[in-house]
This record gives sequence, structure tokens and C-alpha cells, in this order.
Amino acid sequence: MIKIRRNTLSFRIITRVLLITITLFIIILSVYYYQTRKIIIESTQANAIELAGNITGKIENVLQPIEKVPQMLSTSLEMGVFTRDSLILVLKTILNENPTIFGASIAFEPDYFPDKGRYFMPYVYRHGDTIKEIYLGDENYDYFYMDWYQIPTFFKEASWSEPYFDEGAGNVLMATYAVPFYCKKNRERHFAGIITVDLELEWLSGIVSEVEIYETGYTFLLSANGVAVTHPDKKQIMNKSIYSNAIEWNAPVMREIGRDLSKGVSRFRDYNIPGRQKQWIYYRNLQSNKWSIGVVYPDREIFAPLRNITTLLIVLFIAGLILLIVLTSGIINQLAAPLTLFSRTARTIAEGNFNATIPPVKTNDEMLELHQAFTHMQHQLAEYVENLKETTSAKEKIESELRIAREIQMAMIPHTFPPFPDLPQISLFARLKSAKEVGGDLYDFFILDKYKFCFAIGDVSGKGVPASLFMAVTRTLLRSISDKEKLASTIVGNLNKSLAFNNESNMFVTFFLGILDLETGWLHYSNAGHNPPVLISHEGKATMFETANAIPLGLFDDFNYTESKIRLSRGDMIFAYTDGVTEAENEKSELFGEEQMLRVLKNVDQPEPGILIEKMGAAIEEHVKGFLQSDDITMMTIKFNA
Amino acid sequence: MTKPILRLLFVLLICLITNVQAQDNKLVFSPHWMPQAQFAGYYIALDQGFYKEAGLDVEIIHPNASVNALNFLKEGKADIISLFLVTGLHAALNEVDLVNIAQISQHSAIMFVTKKSSGIDEPDKLRGKRIGVWKSGFKEVPMAMLNERQIDVEWVPILSSVNMFLLGGIDAMTVMWFNEYHQIYLCGIDENELNTFFMSDYGYDIPEDGLYVMRPTFAKRSDDLRAFVEATLRGWQFASENRDYTVNLVVEKMLKANIPTNKAHQQWMLDKVIETQQLNEKNLQAGKLLRSDFDKTLNILRLMEKNNDTIYFGDFYKPVMQPKTNQ
Repeated sequence: MIKIRRNTLSFRIITRVLLITITLFIIILSVYYYQTRKIIIESTQANAIELAGNITGKIENVLQPIEKVPQMLSTSLEMGVFTRDSLILVLKTILNENPTIFGASIAFEPDYFPDKGRYFMPYVYRHGDTIKEIYLGDENYDYFYMDWYQIPTFFKEASWSEPYFDEGAGNVLMATYAVPFYCKKNRERHFAGIITVDLELEWLSGIVSEVEIYETGYTFLLSANGVAVTHPDKKQIMNKSIYSNAIEWNAPVMREIGRDLSKGVSRFRDYNIPGRQKQWIYYRNLQSNKWSIGVVYPDREIFAPLRNITTLLIVLFIAGLILLIVLTSGIINQLAAPLTLFSRTARTIAEGNFNATIPPVKTNDEMLELHQAFTHMQHQLAEYVENLKETTSAKEKIESELRIAREIQMAMIPHTFPPFPDLPQISLFARLKSAKEVGGDLYDFFILDKYKFCFAIGDVSGKGVPASLFMAVTRTLLRSISDKEKLASTIVGNLNKSLAFNNESNMFVTFFLGILDLETGWLHYSNAGHNPPVLISHEGKATMFETANAIPLGLFDDFNYTESKIRLSRGDMIFAYTDGVTEAENEKSELFGEEQMLRVLKNVDQPEPGILIEKMGAAIEEHVKGFLQSDDITMMTIKFNA
Repeated sequence: MTKPILRLLFVLLICLITNVQAQDNKLVFSPHWMPQAQFAGYYIALDQGFYKEAGLDVEIIHPNASVNALNFLKEGKADIISLFLVTGLHAALNEVDLVNIAQISQHSAIMFVTKKSSGIDEPDKLRGKRIGVWKSGFKEVPMAMLNERQIDVEWVPILSSVNMFLLGGIDAMTVMWFNEYHQIYLCGIDENELNTFFMSDYGYDIPEDGLYVMRPTFAKRSDDLRAFVEATLRGWQFASENRDYTVNLVVEKMLKANIPTNKAHQQWMLDKVIETQQLNEKNLQAGKLLRSDFDKTLNILRLMEKNNDTIYFGDFYKPVMQPKTNQ
């Protein structure tokens, strides 16, 4: 089996085109079919009307001359042209001169001729090649009550009888035309009786059935009562009427047609009889009598040519559709072929080969535009990559410079531990872990004079190079100020003044400075807005330093910084830190926090500065779980051993 | 005499006896009209061999334009005929020595029909109108019905067609529910275009078809007649239960006799004729003539003939079937 790739361009285009084409075809075919059908119905109707007209004309051509015969005879009888005894001769003459007439009679009213009794009805009729005569009328042939006599007598007008089988003539189908006549008796005009002419109806079926309508179409003739006079199905003749068929065929439409005809309505219509094929019929009355003619067209046959051509059109369309699919897919594939090459090229370019050859396009269409766009893209990409290289190298240079800056920064803060091997009174450990290459945290410690140990920790606002520069300035100033001043608050105050001076960038630094008397254990400290350090007593209690509220350094040059003091005991430890510790964040934005920090500080088994900082570092690592460090983390621990 | 001759004589004797017996069981039946579903029960009884099973050799003949069934009976051409009760009783009153041996129909099917367009929607409006009635008879009941209401009309004798009525030559027509009424329908007049007046609705539910024989035949062949009536009722029963088959049989028979017809009409006739035979609270026994129906019919005829002729019920009605004791 052929696998159809649904995600190809040609599949999509072809399915859409097919959908439109099929829709259009269905619309066009429907319009064509219904219009043609309409035309066929109209032409069938015209044909049926003409056909029925022709047949009617032929029938009238026979009936009308026959009708004239008794009419003329009636005039002659009224004028008294013939004697009673010559009537047989007159009737014989009529038969001789009118070969279509089977029999003729003059039936007189009861007791018209007293000497002839109640009945007097001379009748002549054909018998083989001869013409026979007879006087009819007796108890068994009480003609006064027969339709042909009774009806024209009552209505006093000529009429055709319903057709009947004449037993005397050998069961021949006949109809009688009866004309009332009058005679003058005592100069008064009296109704005298009925003149009849009998007409064999065999010729009718000849006229009616000689017409061929397709294969199974036919015509039929009905009497005034709707009884079949001619019909291709001989069993229908005289037995069935359109109304009895309506019952037997369970087809009320037949009754509707019959009632139309009884009202003289002519119509062309279609009808269905259960279990039979649909048919079309035109029906109308004859002129002479109330008989009617029907012309039946089988629906299947009149629309056969239309059905055939429609089938042919559908077959051709399907063939055309297949051809269209094959050709269109070929054309589309041909047209879209460069796309595949373009996609391959795009992949090559994406792999970094900016010099890949763009597939050549010979056509001057969208493909050419694509080609140009590709070429443009190729150039732009090459240019961009070139720029990127330059930018990257510039960035690398900056990064290397920053690395150097960090090394310098780190070099500025003491990083040799233990820093004072010859001072057993204190042991100290500190660590600064920058968030970026260079940070704004600082710590420092140094010996002020023989027994005074100074330490400081700070955090410059902001980060990066400016912070690190500000930190460097702070550290440098700290050292230079502490050369002259020995009080914590003074050092801090002077430092503030120096930093605030010309501080255009409004940078500031939180700062904690402590001066520990190594002999007495008194610690004097001043805090400029920095996180208060933690005092871990030799008993293992960890408490925050109580510090006065003071603003960071560098903001207001005249701010008065105060100092506090506390006496340390042997084994007490100070844990100073920056907010990078308490505000260390994990990916859920949960802070490490003071509580956790204090918990770590309390639970250190061997309270040595290095170990404590290691543990704290580990606790922070565990908290952040590798989440990107956003701030410098600085910790410093001093243990008083004196 | 030698043995072979004796044997021959014996065989001849047997043949003679058998022949005589066959001769004796021969019955000629004539319905009172030409073949149609009105007489389906007889045709079925013959077709299905019910007569033969009853030991009868039945031949069915039909009257024609010149000879009626009563003539057949009088002339001995038929042993048994069917007649309307009025016709039978009329004949009896006119000294035809016949007897009713079974009353097949139990109800009247005679009616007047008018076109609604004529405006005649009650019997009173028939006054002075032209009413078609069969020339051949059956007018006694409709006449009695109108006489009782003192409605004078112009009776127009009609042979057999409904054309005078269709064309408006008469204002009303006396018809049989099972026959002419439906013929009118089959000429395209819808039932809702007609007004109907059933004699039975005006106190004249006079039963119609009955079986008649000459009194001597009754005296001599009552066993055969009983067998005939029983087989006939069996025929009707079969016809009632197998209507399609029956209609086809009737239509075939009519076409053979060159009588134009169709199934639609014969189906209608069969259905309606069977309806007229239905037993009800009035009469619970098939084939039975009720005294009340006899009296009413006699009364009609007396009024018609303007005399006081009479005949005893017991003399006229000689049922060949034993009344069922449980009914």
C-alpha cells in the first residue's frame, strides 16, 4: 500500500484543492441535473400534450362524422320524409354508406304506433359481410329502461353510452350514440323516440395503442365512468376502472386522476403506485363525449439519457480528479523541491557552516525571494557571529580583570590563619565568600597597641566593582584612622566622616567595629547599622550583641556614633557576620535566618573559630542547596582565650 | 343361466342402482342473479367439494335477461333457488307452491342514496322526487318505508346501471349496500358526497337472500336439502375466512361468463354480504327465518297489493335444519 504522508505540503494543497473542486462539481452537477430534468419534464409534457391531441384528433375524426348521421336522420324524421315501412331501408342505407357504423336503430316511444303494440324499434346490423334487419322490443328487451334510451330521453340531448360488450355481435366492444328525435302529430311536435348508431370500438385500441412511448410507456382510453376502454393490459378493458385500480393497487392517486377527469381537468403530473416504478401521466377529456385519454411515461425511461450522461460525467470527473491529483502533486513537488534543499542548507548553517552553498533558484518567484532571504540571513548570521566573538572576547577580558580585582580585594583583607600565632589570648578565623567576582563585604583585624585587638566587619551597599572599591576605601581609611584613634566610637565616627565626604554616589557601609582588651577581656564596640554579632559564652549560650541603633557609614558626616562595652570571659566567642548569612536564600525564597544561625552556633561541639565557620558554611550550603548565591557571605569568629 | 351371464347382470344391476342413486342426489341450484360475490358461499361450497362431501351432485345455473330464477323453479329447471324474502313471499301469495327452507341473509342491505349536492338529507325531502328503483323488483321494502311516512315520490324504473343517478336523471336511487352503492363509488363519487338512508335504520331490517324449493321437492328430498343448506353455510363460513381466495374465484367465474368486473368491487360485495348474514341478538341461529320478519314482510306485501292475502308461517317456512337446542 502507498503510504500517504499527511504532513507534506502537496498533501495539504491537494486535499484543499480537491475539497473545493468536489464541492464545485457537486454544485454544478446538481444545477445541471435539476435544470436538465426540468427541461425533460417540460419537453415530455409538451410531447404528451401533442400526442394526446393527435390521438384525440384521430378519434374525433371518426366520432364526429358518425354523430352527424343520427342527427341528420332525426331532422329527416321530424320533417316526415320517411314512411314507417321505409325505415329499415333508411337504416340499411346508413350502414352501407358508413362502414364504421356497426348497427343503427330507431326506437319509438311506447305505443307510438298503436297497431304495432308497445314496442317499435327497427334495427339493422352487420352480420359478417351482410346487413341484417330485426324489429326489437318485447318484455325481455324492454328498451325504454335501457341507458341508451332512458338517458337521452330524460335529458333530451344526444349522448354516448358507456362502452359495453355486445353479445349479439359476438362480444364485441361497442358504444352507442343516441339522439332523441321528434315527430309532428296533429301539428304538434312530440318526442318520438331515440335514434341510435352502434360503433365497434376495436379501431379505437388501434389508434390509441399504435403510439409507442419509450419501451413501456403507453396510452389508454377511459369511459366517462372511468372504465378502461383501451389499455395495453387487455384484462383491464371493461373490467377495471381507474377507481377500482385505485383500490386494488392501493393508489389513491388513481382516484384523484379519475375525479380530475370527471371534472374535465387535464393535467401533467407524476404519480406512484406502491410496488411499481414512478410514472408521469398526461390526461385529458375527449371533445365528443366525456371519455378521456391518458398518456403514461415511465419515469425511469424518460430520465434514462439524463441518468446516463450524469453517470458519464461523474466517471469522467473521478478520472479527471485522479489525473489532477497526480499532476498537481508532481507540480507541487517540483515547485517545492528547493524547499527541501533550503531546509538542508538551514540545518548546515545552524551547525555553524555559514559558508554553506544556498541552493540555486532559477525561477523568479517566491523561491527566489526565499533564496535571497536565505542569503541575507547567511550574511547576517556570519556578521552576528563575528560580533559575538568580539563581544565575548571583550567580556572575557572584563571577567579576567574582575578576577584580578577580586584577587586584589582578597589580598586587602587578612587571610592568613591563625593570624597572630604569638598572641595566645585570641584565636580567630574569618571567611569572605563573594557572590560575584568582587563583593562589598569586608572584615579586618589588627593589633592597635600591645594589648588592644581591633576587629571590624562591614557590608557595602550594592555589589560588584563599585561596592568593592568602596570597601577598599573603607578598609584603607579604617587602617589609617586607627593609626591615630584608639576608641571604637571615634574610629567609626571618623571613618563615617571620611566616607561621607564627597560621597556623590551615596554609597554606604554597615559596619561593626570592636576593640578587645586582651588583658582585661573588655570589649568596646561600635555598630553602624550592621547585624549585631553573636556572643557565644564559654557555657555555650549564644546571644546577640546589644547595639545602639545607628545608621550605616557614609550617609551623614556629622552622625554621632556611640560605643558599648562588654567583658568577655575566657572561652567566650564572638561570631560576626554579614546579612549574606541570615539572608541566604534557597530556591523557595526561604531565608537561612537568625534562628537557624543561632541554633548552629549553640550546637557546635568543639567551639573553635575555624570549625564554627566550617559548620556554619555547611549549614548554609545545606539550606540553599546549590541555589545561586545572591550576596556576599562573610563570617568572622574570635575566641577569647585569656 | 350360466355364471358369466349372472355376473354380468349383477354388474349391470349395481351400475343401475348407483346411477339411480346419483340421479337422485343431483340438485340444480340457481341464485336469483348473475354470478357475483353475493353468491360466493355457493361457489365456494362447490369449489371446495362441500356439496360432494355431503353426497350431493350440485349444478349451479344462473338466470339471464329473459328468464329469472323463479321461472327456473316453476319450470323444474332448478330444484332450489335463492330469492329475496319479499320475492319469495310474494310468489307464495301468488300461488307459487314454494317454501323457504333456510334464510341465509339476516339483514336488509337496501338503501336510498342521494347526492349531498341535492340537499336531500332526510327521507321527508324525497317527497315528489324522482327515485330510481330496479325494474326487476325489490322495490316493495323501499316503497313500504316511504308509504309509511306518506312520502309520495316518482318511481323511475332502472334496469341495472347507476348512470341515470350519476348524470342527475334521478334525484335518489334505491341501491344495495353491497352492490350499486359501491358502483357509484367506483364511478368517482366519494362517500362523503353521498347521503344514505338504510331501510334497516327506518324499521325495515327485512332479511333478503333465502333458499326456496317447490313444496313437493321439500317433501321428497328434505335430507338432500338439509345437506345442501349445511354445505352452503359451510361454504359461506369458508368464504368469510378466505376472502381473497373467494374474491378471486368469483371474479374468475364472472370473467368466464363475460360479465365485466373487478376485484375491488367483488371484495366490497363479499364483505358486505357477509355482514348481512351476521347473527346478532335478533337472531342467533344461522339459516333461521324469524316469525317477526315473516310477519313484517307479509304486512308490507298486503299493504302493497292492497289485499288481505295470507299464508301461515308454518306453511311458508320449512326449515330443513334442526333448530339447535342450546340456542
